[in-house]
Amino acid sequence: MKRRTFLKNTSLASTTFMVPSFLKNFQKKQHFSSRSGKILVVVQLSGGNDGLNTIVPYQNDIYYQNRPRLGITKNEVLQLTDELGFNPAMASMRSLYDQGLLSIVNNVGYPNPDRSHFRSMDIWHTASDSSEYLDSGWIGRYLDNTCNGCAPYNALELDDSLSLALKGKGSNGFAMKNPQQLKKMTDNRLLKALGQQDHHHDHEEVAYLYKTLIDTQSSADYLFEQSKVYKSKVAYPNTAFGKDLKQTAELITADTDTQIYYLSLGGFDTHANQKNTQERLLKQYADGMKAFVEDLRQNNLLDDTLILTFSEFGRRVGQNASNGTDHGTANNLYLIGGNLKKPGFYNEGPDLTNLDNGDLIYKVDFRNVYATILNQWLDADAPSVLGRRFEVLKMLG
Amino acid sequence: MQKINHLYWRAGFGLSPQEWEEKKNWTINKALNDLFKQAQKARPLNNPSSLSNMNPNMMNKSALKELIEKERKKVGERNAEWILRMSSNNESALLERMTLFWHGHFACRSRSGHLAVNQLNAIRKHALGNFRDLVLAIAKDPSMIRYLNNQQNKKQSPNENFARELMELFTIGRGHYTEQDIKEAARAFTGWSSNLKGEYVFRRFQHDYGQKEFFGKKGNFDGTDIIDMLLEKRQTAYFISSKIYRYFVNTKIDEAIVRDLADGFYRSNYDIGQLMRRIFESPWFYEAKNIGHKVKSPVEYSAGLIRLLDIQFENQNGIIFLQRALGQTLFNPPNVAGWPGGKSWIDNSTLMLRLSVAAAILNQAEVAFRPKAEAEERVRKMGRLKATVNLGRFKELTAGIPDQQLFDYFKSYLLLADTKTSPMLFRRMMNGVKTREQLIQRGLVFFTSLPEFQMC
Repeated sequence: MKRRTFLKNTSLASTTFMVPSFLKNFQKKQHFSSRSGKILVVVQLSGGNDGLNTIVPYQNDIYYQNRPRLGITKNEVLQLTDELGFNPAMASMRSLYDQGLLSIVNNVGYPNPDRSHFRSMDIWHTASDSSEYLDSGWIGRYLDNTCNGCAPYNALELDDSLSLALKGKGSNGFAMKNPQQLKKMTDNRLLKALGQQDHHHDHEEVAYLYKTLIDTQSSADYLFEQSKVYKSKVAYPNTAFGKDLKQTAELITADTDTQIYYLSLGGFDTHANQKNTQERLLKQYADGMKAFVEDLRQNNLLDDTLILTFSEFGRRVGQNASNGTDHGTANNLYLIGGNLKKPGFYNEGPDLTNLDNGDLIYKVDFRNVYATILNQWLDADAPSVLGRRFEVLKMLG
Repeated sequence: MQKINHLYWRAGFGLSPQEWEEKKNWTINKALNDLFKQAQKARPLNNPSSLSNMNPNMMNKSALKELIEKERKKVGERNAEWILRMSSNNESALLERMTLFWHGHFACRSRSGHLAVNQLNAIRKHALGNFRDLVLAIAKDPSMIRYLNNQQNKKQSPNENFARELMELFTIGRGHYTEQDIKEAARAFTGWSSNLKGEYVFRRFQHDYGQKEFFGKKGNFDGTDIIDMLLEKRQTAYFISSKIYRYFVNTKIDEAIVRDLADGFYRSNYDIGQLMRRIFESPWFYEAKNIGHKVKSPVEYSAGLIRLLDIQFENQNGIIFLQRALGQTLFNPPNVAGWPGGKSWIDNSTLMLRLSVAAAILNQAEVAFRPKAEAEERVRKMGRLKATVNLGRFKELTAGIPDQQLFDYFKSYLLLADTKTSPMLFRRMMNGVKTREQLIQRGLVFFTSLPEFQMC
């Protein structure tokens, strides 16, 4: 009741200002665009998730030798193939695996891996070589290339701030933790008046600031309206990540003009006493994914949605003295959706006999995965987004 | 007046209300003398060390771990101290500004407060001095040595990281050396290391004394020789001059001017102070196209705002939080290439925060925001900023200005970029204001909320 009064007041307040015609057109876009485009949801597991204890090589003696206390016993593992199985905390994902909605890609990384969180995440965000420093992200450059004149929320990050991945050279994605909060922030009398005054500036940068302000205001209005269209009936885990997923599902179902959603789940930097922390987080992830997929299925959106989950690096094969693991290199990555060419396992598991100084050696460059998604899912010209040609893999249907 | 404002924003962090009253009618020459004179009185940041008295061999593992954690936390304290120095009337704004520039140029992530300040003091010492001294100090700086893995650069297994960045980012720029030059330079820097106490040490058993071939010359070069040979190339003077031009003058380069600056810089044997003075003295520096065209970086924005409003933070975390939320944390650049700057500071989230944070502080409202977590953080913390402003002095200084003239006063003092914002809108927003006190406060809210206020 209270919220409704609040809404009434704010909508009243906003009509007291004259809305410029170009803004009106912008706002009208809602509810009409059909789901012609595909949806990409990127889930970032921050801190370096231990892939070996997520997808466990439970038949491998080297694994158990290297992890005398951290290794997950054969009995505990949820066996998927003769060699590999889930960490028990991933139980909710079992059904996705069984239904062919999950494709696990092993040994993903890049040449000359960097073991700093910061730098490695940068490399994943910018799709650069490890010796190269770029200040734009792969999704941002996708917007630059294919999306001139798109609404700013074409790529939407569920967060207070925007990740490098979504920053382009000319265009940016949009950051929003939740529509109510955003709306509250933009419903400011002075900022509204500023957005409505003549904003043609000779200064390119000042013009850019005004454009960003006006875009933010209209996006806030649009996303707020969109957030009211559909309320999910699926039970999501009551965690911040669960809420983000629910928000995402509701916006997708409402046919929002957003093509890419970006979410993160953090805390995977498990140097000490890894087991509890990692399993708590994996459960959050798996439970969230199960609910999310169920939501999409109920709305017939599973075939139009692809979920990519990655982490900036895996961990070392050997556990450390504090029952944790240190920063490593190659890792597994997960694709979820109704359009997978190779559900189950995309490729063979990690080769523990052939390590680089105790670290896994990558076999699939993550940029091949990006190129595949850009080309086959987002209908983009991957080489112009990634700066050069990366082979497209046979991953998507 | 606009020229003075421009100069103090580019060569410093703007002017406090008091400084504005005092200096706004100065000639450029007088202001420059003032800026450069103050820079000579510089003192290093106080740097109490918990490292220098320690004996790592005597410490057990947990004590060492505790020390490392303590040092990591100190990075934040040192950061806050530095910001307050940038915003203080009593420090040399020019020197702090130059130090900030070089901090971004020799970008380095520091995990120890003590080492961070050591590096900063080394930079400050040479910030307006000789570029060769500065590069050499950086090459021997323990924080940089750790950041770019020169500790692992040994005769038996050279690590090229430092040598590569020295050429690519710090001196001559990409495309002016070969991969072989990097390998040879890396050999020359073998053994340039640091000990656990955080002091520079030369490990002669790790140093490669053999013959190297660099830029076509052969000799038993060490790191100092490599730096000298890099500086012998005019391209290095050009690379640095063009970066300085982009940072201090305009992101779009005027090729003829930069060539000319580079020539002078080279002939002066890399005298930074002379180069800066030349820039600030040049008539082109004050041309309209160079004024108000730069998006303030988060650090410039914060330091300028504190200077303007005489802000007292409830605790220093507020200062750090603001930097993190706006995308620039001192001692924590995105990578060794530094902060890209310009329009890249701005996205929907940072802009809204920039447009509302001053108003929130002026209205005594708390700002809460969740900046991106550091990877090492288990729980993502809500950042809070609570602060009070002191407008007493400001009110005194502006007491003689009639209400109707306040718009113009604020405009010339607070905005460098042209604005289309009309006095009419200002008056509309001041509707209902009853007292002069309110008018000043709401007037400041108005002007600090303008997108033009983000420019310098």
